[in-house]
Amino acid sequence: MRNATKLLLRLLTLFAALALITAACGDSSGDDGGDSASSDDGGSSDDDGGSSDGDGGSDSDLSVAIVAPSASDDLAFTQSMVESVRALGIEPQITDGTFIVEDAAAAIRGYAEDGVDVVIAHGTQYGGSLEEIAPDFPETSFIWGTATDTKGLDNVYAYFPEAEQGGYVNGVMAAQLTDSGTIGVVGPVQAGDAVAYIEGFTKGAESEGATVNVVYTESFSDVALAAETAEGHLANGADVMTGTAQMVVGAVNVAQENDVLWFGTQANQTDLGSDVVVASQVYKWDAVLETMFSQIEDGTLGGEAMSINLANGGLAIEFNDGFDLPAEVKTLGEETVAGVIDGSIDPN
Amino acid sequence: MNADAPLLQMRGITKRFPGVIANEGVDFEVRYGEVHTLLGENGAGKSTLMKILFGLYAPDEGEVLLRGEKVSISSPSDAIAARIGMVHQHFMLVPTQTVAENVALGLKSKRGVLTDLDSVSERIREISEEQGLAVNPSEEVWRLSVGERQRVEIIKALYRDAELLVLDEPTAVLTPQEVEDLFVVLRRMTESGRGLVFISHKLHEVMALSDRITVLRNGKVSGHTVPAESSREDLAQMMVGRAVRLTPERPIVEAGPPRLTIRSLSVTGDRGTTAVDNVDLDVHSGEILGVAGVSGNGQRELAEVIAGLRDPQAGATIDLDGMSLLGVDTRARRDRGLSYVPEERMRDGAIGDFTVSENLILVDHGGDQFSRSGLLNFGAIKEHAAALVERYAVKTPDIDTPTSSLSGGNIQKVIMARELTAEPKLLIASQPTRGVDIGSAEYIHERLMEQREKGTATIVISEDLDEVIGLSDRIAVMFEGRIIDIVDSEDATREAIGLLMAGVTN
Amino acid sequence: MSQFFTLSILVATLASGIRLAVPYLIAALGETIGQRSGVLNLGVDGVMLLSAFFTYWTVLETGNMWLATAVGLGVGLVMGLIYAVVTVFFHATQGISGIGIFLFGLGFSELMFRKQVGAPTPVDKIAEVDIPLLSKIPHIGELFFQHDLLIYFAFGLVPIVSFMLRKTTFGMNISAVGENPQAADSLGVSVAKTRFAAILLGNLLAGLAGATLALQLGLFQGNLTNGLGFIAVALVYFGAWRPTGVMVGALLYGMVQATVNQLKIQGSIPQSASDIAAMAPALLTIAALAVLAGRIKAPSALTRPFSRA
Repeated sequence: MRNATKLLLRLLTLFAALALITAACGDSSGDDGGDSASSDDGGSSDDDGGSSDGDGGSDSDLSVAIVAPSASDDLAFTQSMVESVRALGIEPQITDGTFIVEDAAAAIRGYAEDGVDVVIAHGTQYGGSLEEIAPDFPETSFIWGTATDTKGLDNVYAYFPEAEQGGYVNGVMAAQLTDSGTIGVVGPVQAGDAVAYIEGFTKGAESEGATVNVVYTESFSDVALAAETAEGHLANGADVMTGTAQMVVGAVNVAQENDVLWFGTQANQTDLGSDVVVASQVYKWDAVLETMFSQIEDGTLGGEAMSINLANGGLAIEFNDGFDLPAEVKTLGEETVAGVIDGSIDPN
Repeated sequence: MNADAPLLQMRGITKRFPGVIANEGVDFEVRYGEVHTLLGENGAGKSTLMKILFGLYAPDEGEVLLRGEKVSISSPSDAIAARIGMVHQHFMLVPTQTVAENVALGLKSKRGVLTDLDSVSERIREISEEQGLAVNPSEEVWRLSVGERQRVEIIKALYRDAELLVLDEPTAVLTPQEVEDLFVVLRRMTESGRGLVFISHKLHEVMALSDRITVLRNGKVSGHTVPAESSREDLAQMMVGRAVRLTPERPIVEAGPPRLTIRSLSVTGDRGTTAVDNVDLDVHSGEILGVAGVSGNGQRELAEVIAGLRDPQAGATIDLDGMSLLGVDTRARRDRGLSYVPEERMRDGAIGDFTVSENLILVDHGGDQFSRSGLLNFGAIKEHAAALVERYAVKTPDIDTPTSSLSGGNIQKVIMARELTAEPKLLIASQPTRGVDIGSAEYIHERLMEQREKGTATIVISEDLDEVIGLSDRIAVMFEGRIIDIVDSEDATREAIGLLMAGVTN
Repeated sequence: MSQFFTLSILVATLASGIRLAVPYLIAALGETIGQRSGVLNLGVDGVMLLSAFFTYWTVLETGNMWLATAVGLGVGLVMGLIYAVVTVFFHATQGISGIGIFLFGLGFSELMFRKQVGAPTPVDKIAEVDIPLLSKIPHIGELFFQHDLLIYFAFGLVPIVSFMLRKTTFGMNISAVGENPQAADSLGVSVAKTRFAAILLGNLLAGLAGATLALQLGLFQGNLTNGLGFIAVALVYFGAWRPTGVMVGALLYGMVQATVNQLKIQGSIPQSASDIAAMAPALLTIAALAVLAGRIKAPSALTRPFSRA
């Protein structure tokens, strides 16, 4: 029996090794364009929006690696970072799906040991690991987010989105589009930019007289529960919805099926529901990455926290061209963006 | 089929396991209508031989003939098809299923994929009637008494039309009365021409039931005999290979004053019911008090409460030499002179992974003898262990052998050695020789007698009536938690004690 | 605040609970069969993930839901075969083997998804089938008779599995092998074959549960089940190894999830208590288990490999 267990463990190890090899191949084929087709689909629409930023970025000689908790083509959190780096003309090395912090820490240290110039630790939860790793590699710059401080380390940059800004804009527009006056929100765990986005959205929608029902499902991954939460919002009369994090795919699908409008965030979610997605707030980390990279090239490896926002172009509202948005609503949206930028509107 | 041939012939059966020869050239035969007993110590090769017969092992050499024809039995299904039935010592029953379901298991159903429990129940009733095996087919097995479960096992075999029936230690769990009932049933079965293999080590039962006896020792046949031509001592000698004394010599020792005094003792059992019911008991210096009873009538709880492993209900007194043992932990009880040889020796008596020497000091390791300021003194421990292993004739490769790799008898000797070294005033020995070979049992009995002569008050709890009668000065019989009678062993007979064990008083 | 007790919302919430319960129910029924035969399978979640992916992928590529369901069942069968060989013939420790299956399913389904599909791409969901007449009954119709076929089938499975376990010789063999394999063996019932069949059936249903999840969501992404398969294993204990008990457990779990969700939507549960409320189904299950613990008894031979000795 013990032998059988051993055999089994060996088989499993073999499986795991195979999986790793295949995964590695996947990444390298991504380098030569092998599987970029699918992610291009997802990114095509915001390439348009991002092109002006991309042009501004000088092609850097820095080598960059990204360690991120979800898939690099998740149409959300991780994809936004990968595309931002690519927009700067840099093809990053990627270790994604490391939702286990220990795995991420190993990857971060590995890249640093390999002499990569910049390691982007794309996950709030990696902060503790960075505190241990960063001091060991004073020549390497680490970029960590979303986070509002650098933990006092001078080779660490921090970044965070002022997600409440786009949330507010989405909320204002959503309030114009609801007939029932009720808007549903599908949130994940109450943390980070999800809370900022949802609170900004709520404030924006309520300023226009709509009722906002917020549900945090307390899971980043429970797609079925997100879908049922959307169903619940429908039963309560919601006819416009929004949500954030990777499990919202279930909710967007419900919206599409029931012809209920959807506002996206983190990445352009048009592909998930081309008939019902009105607009998405997209993260363009290149707005701050560009500054960080040039400072790094000048020898300043960190010590600063930077935010992306509507003003610096790090946040942008992208509209779904396939959705027939009344002109006055679009205008109102654009005016709200302008108001947030010039400070006449406070989304906080 | 050969009409003159015996029902079963096993010829020259040899079965080797790595490092052991379990059967070596064993010849065994069962005629129609006879009870042929297979006798031997644990590990003598009885069960291997029967597993070969039942198709669970393949023999390395030898042949099996049924009704004169050579057969090859490679699975229980083959055995059942050849009309061989087995009543296992550990019942092969599914407790959550009904009697009918247990009987029907593995049989083709008349209704295809659906069960046909009604017709099975009908047939069970017929068999019950014919054979005097009363049992309710629709009762779930876990509700049945041990005796009833055994009847289900026999019915299972008869339902499959077994002509050769193997009974592996069928009496181990029965009361004397149930044993007698069983023997009546078995006799009736032989009258209808069936052949029975009876496996037991209870010598008086073997003498009472058998037509013929084959004795195995170390995997070989050490003798064939019939009851009329042998005594129990002869059989024991064939089993062990030397003369053994089955009942220890019991010199006259004048019993002293009572050392252990128990008054109004009641104990709650594991199931929340009263396991020991208002017991009064005295055990004197230089006396062995035997406690007899069918398993589960409060003996274990009685022992555990005295040893301090269980709390009595309020109002009880347990005094040793006038000092109360109540409210004192096991450690303190030992210090006051109590030693305990538990029933479950591997669970409660020794730690299997520990070496022999470690188990020998399990109790005293904190004492000055073996440790200094918390550190164990290995020199002293080794010396002590070696001396005890020698004095108690423990068969072990060395004192650093893990205790679990010893035989049951030798593990028991290790525990006895440890407990008796403490020079106890009161010794409680639960099932001291259960599962122990005859040679070791003889030795353990001698040590108990030695304690008696030293003036120790001893309680021996045993389900083996011969042991209780042979060892004890007085015998307390427990039934449903009460001591229903205490008899002098001089006047005790198996029959009288057996009736008391079944709850029958006068 | 509380419009909760308006009838239509109540019905919508209960219907939501039924939908949420169904993948648990199917997976737990499968696990019940396996455990009754004495085999614990902690790999249910992994099997569900694999089956969910391949079902989704088949719909994405062919648009054929029947074919997709068949593929999902096939994945369950293949995984069952692997698990049965490892545990029945190699006597591997069931706990570890199951976790191995889970990890493999988790990793491989995500890998395949990324290689073959990439971004989450919605496909058609399985359609609701309104039962004629009955679905027209106000409220009752919405609650019970406006679901997809898999939901009807899942509840139909409860009496079927129950009947199979109680009234057929196969079911009798399964519980004999799970309670006392030596006894079954001594009567010529093949422990290996019986367990093998029970494992295959159990995994087939795990496959169906995964397919159901994918077809009902019209989506796949990594770790789609979010540990659902492990809850299903717990529900088998909750249901005391009886299909009806398992159904009650699955429904309770789904209903509590849906109710908590509804209370959150209406603001009856403040956001500060949102995380605690999300644990309600699990806490309730644990509490029920704690209360029942003394009265239910697992199959005696559960997790014990069988070999003749």
